[in-house]
Amino acid sequence: MAAESQARRENVIIYADPDRCMGCHSCEIACAVSHAEGHDLFSAVAARLPLQPRNHVVSVDGVTMPLQCRQCEDAPCTAVCPTGACRQTDGMVEIIGQHCIGCKLCAMVCPFGVITVKAEVAADGTALTNHGIAKKCDLCTDWRAETGAEETACVQSCPTKAIQLVDLDEYRKALREARARELVEATRHIRL
Amino acid sequence: MLGVTKAAGIATAWDRYKAQQPQCGFGSTGLCCRICLQGPCRIDPFGNGPQYGVCGADRDTIVARHLVRMMAAGTAAHSEHGRHIALALLHVGEHKLHDYAVHDDEKLHAVAARLGVATEGREQSDIIHELAEVTLGDYQNQDYDKPCHWISSSLPAPRLKKLSDLGLLPHNIDAMVAQSMSRTHMGCDAEPENLILGGLRVALADLNGEMLATELSDVLFGTPKPVASVANLGVLKRNAVNVAVNGHNPLLSEIICNVAADLHDEAVAAGAPEGINIVGVCCTGNELMMRHGVPLATNYLSQELPIATGALEAMIVDVQCVMPSLPRIAACFHTKIITTDNQNKITGATHIEFEEERASEIARQILRVAIDNFKRRDPKRIDIPDEKQEAIVGFSTEGIVAALATVDAADPLKPMVDNIVSGAIQGVVLFAGCNNAKIQQDHNYLTMAKSLAKRNVLVVATGCASGAFAKGGMMTSAATDQYCGEGLRGVLTAIGEAAGLGGPLPPVLHMGACVDNSRAVALVTALANKLGVDISDLPVVASAPEAMSEKAMAIGTWSVAIGLPTHLGTVPPVVGSDVVTGLITDAAKAQLGGYFIVEPDPEKAADSLFDAIQERRAGLGLSTAPRRPALSPTYRFAPSRPAPALLPS
Repeated sequence: MAAESQARRENVIIYADPDRCMGCHSCEIACAVSHAEGHDLFSAVAARLPLQPRNHVVSVDGVTMPLQCRQCEDAPCTAVCPTGACRQTDGMVEIIGQHCIGCKLCAMVCPFGVITVKAEVAADGTALTNHGIAKKCDLCTDWRAETGAEETACVQSCPTKAIQLVDLDEYRKALREARARELVEATRHIRL
Repeated sequence: MLGVTKAAGIATAWDRYKAQQPQCGFGSTGLCCRICLQGPCRIDPFGNGPQYGVCGADRDTIVARHLVRMMAAGTAAHSEHGRHIALALLHVGEHKLHDYAVHDDEKLHAVAARLGVATEGREQSDIIHELAEVTLGDYQNQDYDKPCHWISSSLPAPRLKKLSDLGLLPHNIDAMVAQSMSRTHMGCDAEPENLILGGLRVALADLNGEMLATELSDVLFGTPKPVASVANLGVLKRNAVNVAVNGHNPLLSEIICNVAADLHDEAVAAGAPEGINIVGVCCTGNELMMRHGVPLATNYLSQELPIATGALEAMIVDVQCVMPSLPRIAACFHTKIITTDNQNKITGATHIEFEEERASEIARQILRVAIDNFKRRDPKRIDIPDEKQEAIVGFSTEGIVAALATVDAADPLKPMVDNIVSGAIQGVVLFAGCNNAKIQQDHNYLTMAKSLAKRNVLVVATGCASGAFAKGGMMTSAATDQYCGEGLRGVLTAIGEAAGLGGPLPPVLHMGACVDNSRAVALVTALANKLGVDISDLPVVASAPEAMSEKAMAIGTWSVAIGLPTHLGTVPPVVGSDVVTGLITDAAKAQLGGYFIVEPDPEKAADSLFDAIQERRAGLGLSTAPRRPALSPTYRFAPSRPAPALLPS
């Protein structure tokens, strides 16, 4: 029953409120460190790990907000992946690292530019592989399982609470109520 | 007490710390530059994003500049305290202050002799006047080649030569602070090596400021001798007007203590049968505890909690480490927060300006505010915890030497040296520094001291470390039996019994407030001179396992500069630059003998310090103790370019 009701819902997304975002990049740091396999910030920096955030703070026309994978329901990345590494799974779009060959097709078709295929280990240039695989927001699935955190690292890190994990049903409900409130106000004194 | 604040919905430092989580990664690694208005600029620590600020500063320049600014601020704080004391001495010499006098003539003569001030056949007021002028010269001298008087008359010759060769001896405290601010201005010094050299120099100016502040305070108020006291919140009394003194400078708090007895009857008349009960908080507390055995309510991090007992009539604050939240907490109770320094006011506090010329009059005025406030107490809200810990305190260098002299009057340091040579005492560790909300209060101090005392390392402490050990029961004879290894226990027992304490010396010797780290320098200087070696040869280490303030960064840095392996239990904002990290660890070790050890884990840190002691013992050809298998350090630093040197060799 639970699985069935989950299946009818849209994928969860990370919502960013541009009115609250201060452009501090804390979410990027938190994202990178939450994918650093047990390192904390200091030990990751001290060891000079080439970590990459999976979110990207973007500033345009005076508005700043983080962008990350929108967990599309009809995702172009899943359509073009030649190995099936990129696919829809329980409530999100997943990339299975072992299956990814780093071909970058997903990065090219992503409309939001939020998939990277850079290596996080230093390649010596002579090895058979550069260890580059596609990376994007995974809603901190592994990190949340390890740490027991309910929210993603970026949500936790945001000092102004500009980022939230959003259930689309709740989001729509909030929108409907807001518009309804406006309509009620606007039409209160009108008799047709 | 935290239960009381929680139930009342009052936020304390711990709540505020929680609300700040997680803290900014750029600031934590030192990669946020706020020096000019083109910024703030941030360097991506992982190498993907920007690697240069708008002006072109790279991660190394940014980290080094901000670190030097921290050291300069710490130096400014201590030396302003020192200036205050020196000016008071000058004015005593000019017969302008009637509430102060020299309380330790012997120390006055010793200090005067050290600084080349003639004493023979002179009036005391002439001596102190000249001594104050010589001291204030350390804030005024414009000759770069003439180092400050205090530092150049107080360190062992080999160390002075080394510092002089490296160009590190400060000539003027104020100039060093100004120069640090100037060189770190946008568009100035950008070379991390040169910046850190400047940082070392300003930190040594801090040592100079601490030395003069401590020694002149001893002249005015007396040199501490071992005295019994008590610590923790249980020192507050239900039937007394409770007055806490918080901050750092003894100029006011000493007078408060002097006049408290005069107002006893007024307090009784106000309904407090036990009169006035003065208790200390933070380092003002340490100053009074050391000199007079005044009880210590708490150290830095829990300074808000005495208010929550509902039994504190007033908290009198002066300078440094005073939480601006105090009036907000006090507003929930009847406590009055009284600020006393024109440069240190807090919104919501009552300000009563302190002037040395009218010291007793103002002290009485302040105490009468407290007495008058007694009637506003709500008896239903009084909740004084039972926790109260006895402590033997007051081990100034002179106090330690006097205790040792009871074993060997002709050569007091001999018993200490002999026992270090024999290995009964493996070495000495100085615990200094603060509390930090990132660490369970006092936990690192107690864990590390127990670990090292068990391995026969003598522990001395200053500042909030002292407060931690006093509250934690580490300043009693019983603690020696409980925590010390056999060798150390034997030595402390022999000295304690010879000195007539009726038991061993405590395993942790209270050397004073944080400004009194200079006392520890005097002790290691005496040891180095006795052995004819440099400080960097001695099996002596330092640790600030709960470091928090900019003063702690200055202290830690001069500790490295005089040759001590120096542990920090909180990660300073330098990790973003492996070059700066390398400079204050490896390069410092190679050229100064002292170096920073950054290790948040107290067990691992104790092992690292014990290893450093063993390395020094081996260097002196002394027996070495078996080491525990080393725990791997929490942070390993991977250098991006060849290890830097402070100066080209």
